[in-house]
Parts: sequence; structure tokens; C-alpha cells
Amino acid sequence: MPALETLQSVHETVVCDRREPVPGIVILGCRAPKLARDVAPGQFVMVVPPSGERVSTALGVYEAAGERVSLMLVVVGPRTRELALLDVGDELAMFGPLGNGFALDALGGDVALVAGGVGIAPLLLPAERALAAGARVHLYYGARTQRALVDAERFAALGAAVSLATDDGSAGFHGYVTELVLRENRGHSALLACGPSPMLRAAGAVARALGVRAQLSLEETFACGVGACWGCVVPLDRASAQAPKFPAAPPGEARTYVHARICKEGPVFWSDELRW
Amino acid sequence: MVSADIDLSAQLGKLRLTLPTLMGSGCYGSGEEYASLVDLTRIGGVVLKSVTRHPRLGNDAPRLVPVAAGLLNAIGLQNPGIDAYLKHDVAKFADRPCAVVGSVAGFSVDDYAYVTERLAARDEIDAIELNISCPNVAHEGETFACDPELAERATRAARGVTDKTLIVKLSPNVTDIASIARVVEAAGADALAVINTVRGMSIDVERAAPRLGNVTGGLSGAAIRPIAVLAVWDVARAVRVPILGQGGIETARDALEFILAGATAVSIGTGNFTDPRAPLHVADGIRAYLAERGYTRLAEIVGKANPEFRGGVRA
Repeated sequence: MPALETLQSVHETVVCDRREPVPGIVILGCRAPKLARDVAPGQFVMVVPPSGERVSTALGVYEAAGERVSLMLVVVGPRTRELALLDVGDELAMFGPLGNGFALDALGGDVALVAGGVGIAPLLLPAERALAAGARVHLYYGARTQRALVDAERFAALGAAVSLATDDGSAGFHGYVTELVLRENRGHSALLACGPSPMLRAAGAVARALGVRAQLSLEETFACGVGACWGCVVPLDRASAQAPKFPAAPPGEARTYVHARICKEGPVFWSDELRW
Repeated sequence: MVSADIDLSAQLGKLRLTLPTLMGSGCYGSGEEYASLVDLTRIGGVVLKSVTRHPRLGNDAPRLVPVAAGLLNAIGLQNPGIDAYLKHDVAKFADRPCAVVGSVAGFSVDDYAYVTERLAARDEIDAIELNISCPNVAHEGETFACDPELAERATRAARGVTDKTLIVKLSPNVTDIASIARVVEAAGADALAVINTVRGMSIDVERAAPRLGNVTGGLSGAAIRPIAVLAVWDVARAVRVPILGQGGIETARDALEFILAGATAVSIGTGNFTDPRAPLHVADGIRAYLAERGYTRLAEIVGKANPEFRGGVRA
């Protein structure tokens, strides 16, 4: 059989390191030099299921340095359960980098990062870039419980200030991380957030209250990951810059938004352009 | 036999495919979306996303639910409408290094004729797929594939406005798909795509509510493969026009099931979402299968498992 001539955005690699800081949250490292070089903060990859028969899994790139990238995943269903079982030496195929990441030229000098759960993963690369550019970075990191706050010390070691929140009060602020941002009420020039949708909606509201624009990295199930299937849409305000690219409902219909693809136009969107 | 010498070409009406692998409508965009992942000279062609007479906003999210061995979707034919599509999109398809099949959806017989005529008139479009079986537009669309008279009228209307290859996509959500296939063949279809998605739904028990924004959806992926293979088997006994087999194909073995049941070529949709290398695996694996058994042409095994296979050629 002839060798497969897949193109450069397909990475056929093996797991080179694996960490499970708490049961159910796994960090897989692999050697993927081109991906490590090309990935922009906030972009994601699609990971091919090792035994087929399910759609690929979208994961934000966590670390990218030298020839290594890593992905952080939380076990929530059969697809992530299968990936969590991978061990060092196992084959792993992924494709990317995909999507549009954070607009780093719009950060200013004092960046708030707001993470919910494994939403922490795509925030490491922007933290590194912002700190390297001389900005101050403050990470607000929330999870259900203290044990699920993974790698907060990594951000602190880079030079970021870190504030924690837990749903059960086992570490940091007892409550939602978005409440914590509002409560600390620091002056930030930008807010980047990643986490579950309710948290992101709240982060958008908090940013408005603080007078900054928020960039939200949306979590969603993708099928293709490349903008082909239109399965992962979010309502976009018709006044937004991107809106004219998408079909609108006919006159008379109640829906006054358009549908943008999270995988293609996103996964990062300006909060004030979403109608959700 | 060197496997490189195997002839994998397939003929659907006037459409000659150098490889028997089309990418399913709605799953591959216009091909451009996958061009950084797959060498498009190594697929037979792409069936474009369906276009309608008027622009469509599509269904509200969520539009996808991954389920065991498959995917539920309810996109709702989001598309810019035929005017904007012809103006802004179609010219870009000229440089695709593979076949380009336009896909037409509609809500009336006149819609099918109107959109087919305008789309088929463009040189960038090699053939037309008539999508009379979309299950995700409040039942209006699928009505055509579930009613023999409407299926016949939509096919005849499209046939009347183009000489290009007309592939009519059938629905599995019928009692007797073979009887619909006969009617559509008689109305002038050059080939039949078998099958579109199987209707289904999923309920979030935590919220006690349907998961899809559209409530119901279409099931695709490995879960529907046995349903699709049987549909091809049944249709291959009923018609002489070639069949484009589709439904859960991820590997060469999967594709071979359809071909041995009577499909002249296959279409890969959701399989690309599992692994974008799937079309390459399928073509290479079919080539190896034929070489190992001493065949020189894919056409030699079409319908080989189906004793009542009627030919795969126009009568």
C-alpha cells in the first residue's frame, strides 16, 4: 500500500509524556514540531479517535515549546475517556492548528485571564506572550474544587498574579470565578476567558461592568473542525464586522442574528458581538 | 498485479470519476476547507453543500450531538441562496483537482427546477445531486423523498432543465426505498445516492429536554452503516442506474460492503469527521483488496455479493 500523502497540517505522532494531576484530567505531550511552531494562542487541534467510529475531539493547545505540544483534557464522555487511556508511546494523530485565536495586539498593559476548569489550557500561551511583551497578567481561575485547579502554579511561576475560586470553597474564593473578578475589581486593559458557556456569558457581563472588551474562547462540540459542516454555530449580532458573510433570515422572521462557525470564525469571539 | 495498475474509476451517468470516493454533501464544504489536510487529487470529488432558492439562516444551536458510533445533526440547510452562491462562491470551485457535484435542495417542485437550472448552467459544476431527502427542515424537504409522486415530479423537473448527470439522493425513512428508487429512475435520474441520514433524536435527561435546537435530526456515521448497506442491496435489485453508496463509511472494508451490495461508487461524509485521512485509506484499501484477488478494475466487483444485482448501468 502506498504511503499516505497527508499534508502538513496532519500530525502523526506518539505520546511522549503523560500527566494526570487529578483523576480525570490528563495532559498529553507529544512531539509535533510544525504544530509547535505554527500554533497561535487560542487555536485548537482536532484529535483523531484511536479506534474510530466517533468524531474527532477538539482540544485547545495547552503548551507549545520547541518541538513539543501538549493537550489538556477532562474525561466527560466516551471520546475523552478513550484519549485519557493513551500512554507514553501510543500513536496519536491530530490536525491543526485550526481556528482564530486571541487578538494579542489588543491586550494593552494589564491582562485579565479568566479560566473555568480545563478552560485554563488555551490561556497559557496568551499568558506567555503577554508577559513576554511586558504586560501584567492576572489569572482568575475557578473550578469545582481545589483538586481540580490544575497547574495554577505554572502561571504564577511565569510571573502572573493568580486568584483562585472554587464552587465548594476548598480553595480561594467560595463562589464563581466571574464573581471573583468583579469583587477584586482591578483595572484591566483586556479580558480573555475560556470555560463552559454559562461562565463565558458571565465573563462577558463582568467585562462590560469593568469597562473592557472581552475575548471569549467558546467550548463546543465540533464535527469537522475546519468550517465545512456548519454544525458548531453561535448567534452573531448583525451589526458585527463579520455578520455580512453569513445568510440572514428573511424579512419578517423573528431571528435577527446570523450564525457564525465557532470552529472557523472562532473559537475566540468578542463578547459584545455575540447574541447568546 | 501491482496495485498502482488497478483501475478504480467509476461512471455515474456522464460523470467519470477517477476514484470512486465522493465526499458527502454538507460534510466537506466546497473542498477548500479540507485542502490543507488532504491532497484533493486523491479523492474522486466533492458534493457541495446543498443550496436553496432563498438564503437560509439555518437551525438554532445546538446542531450536533455525538452519539454512540455516530452523529446526530440538524443544520437546517444554512446557505446563502442561489443568487449569492452563483455570484460569490461558484467561481472558486473551478480549480478543484477533483469532480465537483452541486447539490440542490428545495421546498417545491419549482424550487428544484429553478435552482438546478441555474446551478447546472455553470461550467464549474460537473454534475447535480438532487437533495430531496434533507430531514432537518421541519419535514418539508424530506417529504419529496418519502412520497413517490413528489419524488417523481422533483426529479422530472430537474431532468427537464439539465443534461448534466443528475444524482437523486434518497431517504432511508421510508417503508420501501426500492419503490421510490424505481420511480426516480423512471423520471430520469442518472444515478441514485443511497442513503441520506436516518431520522433520530436525543434527549438530555438532566434538563429533560431535547438536545438538538431543531428537536429532531439526522443520524449518520457507523451506526447507520448496516441500514445503508441493506438500502443499497434493495435498490440495486430494483434499478439499473448506478448507485452512490453512503452511510457510515470510514474504511475500505466499509466501502467494499456497499460496492459488493451494488454501489458503483461511494460517498464519505461523517467518516471525515472521525479522520480526514479516511478517503485516502478507503481508496488505497480498495486498491489493495482488488490486487490481492487478481482484479484489474473496480467495476468487476460491483454487486458481486448481490445475486439479483441488475447492472449498475443505464438500461
